[in-house]
Amino acid sequence: MTRAPQGSRLVRRTLRTPITTRVLLLSATASVLIGAVMVVLIVAVTAQRNAARSAFRSQEALAAGNQLEKSLITIENGVRGYVASGREKFLDPANEALTSYPGEVRRLISLVDDDPGQQARARDIGGEIDDYVTLWARPLIGLARTRPAAARSVVITNGGRERLDTIQRDFASLFARERVVINAREDRAEMGSARAIAIGVGGLALVLLVAAGVTLYLRRSVVRPVVTVADATGRLAGGDLSARVPARRHDELGDLARGFNAMADSLQRSRDQLEHSNAELKRSNAELDQFASVTSHDLQAPLTTISMYAELIERRHAADLNGGMALVDGIRGATQEARTLIRDLLEYSRAGRGELALEEVDARELVARALEALAGPIEAAHAHVNVRADLPVVRVDRAGVCRVLQNLIGNAVKFSVAGRPPEVEIGAGRDGDMWRLWIRDNGIGMDPKDAERIFEPFKRLHGEEAYPGTGIGLAICERIVAQHGGRIWVTSRLGEGSEFSFTLPGAEA
Amino acid sequence: MRLAALAVAALLALAGCGGSDAPKASTTAAAKPPLRIGTKNFPEQFLLGEIYKQALEARGFPVELKANIGSSEIIHQALTDGALDMYPEYVGVLLSEVANVRARPRSPDAAYRRAQAFEAARGFALLAPSPFSDQNALAVTPAYARRHHLRDIQDLKSVAGTVRIGAPPEFQTRFEGLVGLAQLYGLHNAKARALAIGRQYAALDSGRVDVAAVFTTDGQLANGRYVILRDPRGVFGTQHVAPIISRTALSRYGPRLRAIIDSVSRRLTAPAMQRMNAQVQIDRRATADVAGEFLRGQGLK
Repeated sequence: MTRAPQGSRLVRRTLRTPITTRVLLLSATASVLIGAVMVVLIVAVTAQRNAARSAFRSQEALAAGNQLEKSLITIENGVRGYVASGREKFLDPANEALTSYPGEVRRLISLVDDDPGQQARARDIGGEIDDYVTLWARPLIGLARTRPAAARSVVITNGGRERLDTIQRDFASLFARERVVINAREDRAEMGSARAIAIGVGGLALVLLVAAGVTLYLRRSVVRPVVTVADATGRLAGGDLSARVPARRHDELGDLARGFNAMADSLQRSRDQLEHSNAELKRSNAELDQFASVTSHDLQAPLTTISMYAELIERRHAADLNGGMALVDGIRGATQEARTLIRDLLEYSRAGRGELALEEVDARELVARALEALAGPIEAAHAHVNVRADLPVVRVDRAGVCRVLQNLIGNAVKFSVAGRPPEVEIGAGRDGDMWRLWIRDNGIGMDPKDAERIFEPFKRLHGEEAYPGTGIGLAICERIVAQHGGRIWVTSRLGEGSEFSFTLPGAEA
Repeated sequence: MRLAALAVAALLALAGCGGSDAPKASTTAAAKPPLRIGTKNFPEQFLLGEIYKQALEARGFPVELKANIGSSEIIHQALTDGALDMYPEYVGVLLSEVANVRARPRSPDAAYRRAQAFEAARGFALLAPSPFSDQNALAVTPAYARRHHLRDIQDLKSVAGTVRIGAPPEFQTRFEGLVGLAQLYGLHNAKARALAIGRQYAALDSGRVDVAAVFTTDGQLANGRYVILRDPRGVFGTQHVAPIISRTALSRYGPRLRAIIDSVSRRLTAPAMQRMNAQVQIDRRATADVAGEFLRGQGLK
């Protein structure tokens, strides 16, 4: 396996054009664009509104000018009527107009104040009107009061008409100019509104285009790489450690991809190592079992021979030995013990190996067979065994599970408190999709901290003198249960009995 | 001369009572509202207006010229109303048409004093009169004079039929018009035909009128194409020009204003006036140019 490059080097930060910067730049550009479009639009709409407003003002100016002209004609007609007839009633409308005309002049001047040329014209007209009023109309009225005949002779000169003609000519030029201004303004307003609409539509299109561009860009350069990495992550989680992603980019997403690849590399390395050590472990376990099996088997023959020789000595030379007979008994006892040990060891090394002969069996039948096998010890211990009626049908290796039950029930009877007849209860219950079988006793129990250790081979909590046995029974049970895919455990307190549980697959599984 | 003495006395009096105003006038003249000068409705008046205006402006007095206002009747009313500060008036017309004095004064001096008293009583001042006198007169063509043996106004009575007089409209109602002609000469066969001032020579030439009311300083009279009828009974008075100015304007602008106006008026001689009238009426020169030229020649500009 080649050495993987260092993750830190692979996942180094790329500062050339980080995606954050690019997205930021993109959003900023889009914002500026949209802002610019808005500003232009506002300017266009404002210009259009101003143009429309000033066109309206011009119309008002025309109206004001017409009103002023009308006032002047009213004055002239009133004065003439008065001079000709001497009747004051002719003056009433003229007097009214004489009062109102200065305001009308001011209004006209203020209405054309957006055009200096027009305002100068309006001021000139105002001056001419003042002259007409102060140098013609009012003096003529005064003259008519004192010397009507002289006033009549003055009227004949038509001085007032001439002044009015001049004023009307100036009005005409003011109006003509104002109409030109109105037309220009209306054109401008129309153009402005057309431009505002065009800019609005164009701006909208531009904004949509930019939005689409940003979306496409984000899809292509952010979403797609992220999705690729997510897919690869899913494959990795599903166990495909060969999943990798392309990592050519020089931005955060490139960093992400490289980080992902580094992580996948590291995972693959770990799994390879784990598989390797697992295989090693299996092999050494198998060798060890093989060794134990072979050794036990090979030891049986010499032990049988020793035991046979000890019997021969006893049978043929018992009379010659005298006190030596006790030594021969010692040899026989030790040999028997060694043979038991080797038998158990062999059984342990075989347990959990080889094929399981799975079949559906009623647990009650299994329990019954175990109790039958233990009939002797149960009888001897005056034990009372209670089997619950609701034991399930399980799918197991009949001999193996029988061995487990026999072992556990045997222990429950064996590890009893002196002077207290053992009470054993056997039952079952659901444990997930498995069945849990339990054997409860009122024996000596154990410290809860020992509950794990007792399933290790040759582990004993008590001396052999107190409770005989090789200490391998529970280890064998553990192997058989484990081979069925179940587990075994104990809950107990010192002096208060124990409850051993193990799980087995149900018949329906 | 009595006139000059009077003018000096008036000047001194003004200087005496307005002494405190004198220094102010020179420094703040430009900040004051312009002096509104009006003129009547014929070319000689336009000239006079331009001459006073340019002379005053040359000395730093702001002036607003309101030319071509109308006959004495209306312009005097405008002055009275306060629409004007000043206008040049003919003393005789002022007396006969405005002051309504029917009796002919014995001398130009007497006429001037009379007119001055009239204006002073209404809150106005009559400034120094001009040397020239632009009298009204009746003119006819030499042919018409020969045919009807005309020498003076009296002779018009013997003309058969109606005598058509081309004149400004006010001629109809003025003493220096049909009224005086009827009173002093018993001329009842005359009818006035209203014409704009200046148009009467053309009407005379074309025969639309028989007689024209003219001013003796008219440029058209210079070359002897027309005959002036003598006025032995003096229906047309002497017509020296004197500016009428409001007292308010006088006190507002100080004695220097009056001194300038008077110095201009004193230089308006008959030959100068007739020459300027001819330049405007016959040579068609611009009034302002003619006025400016005159002032420069007099060292007033």
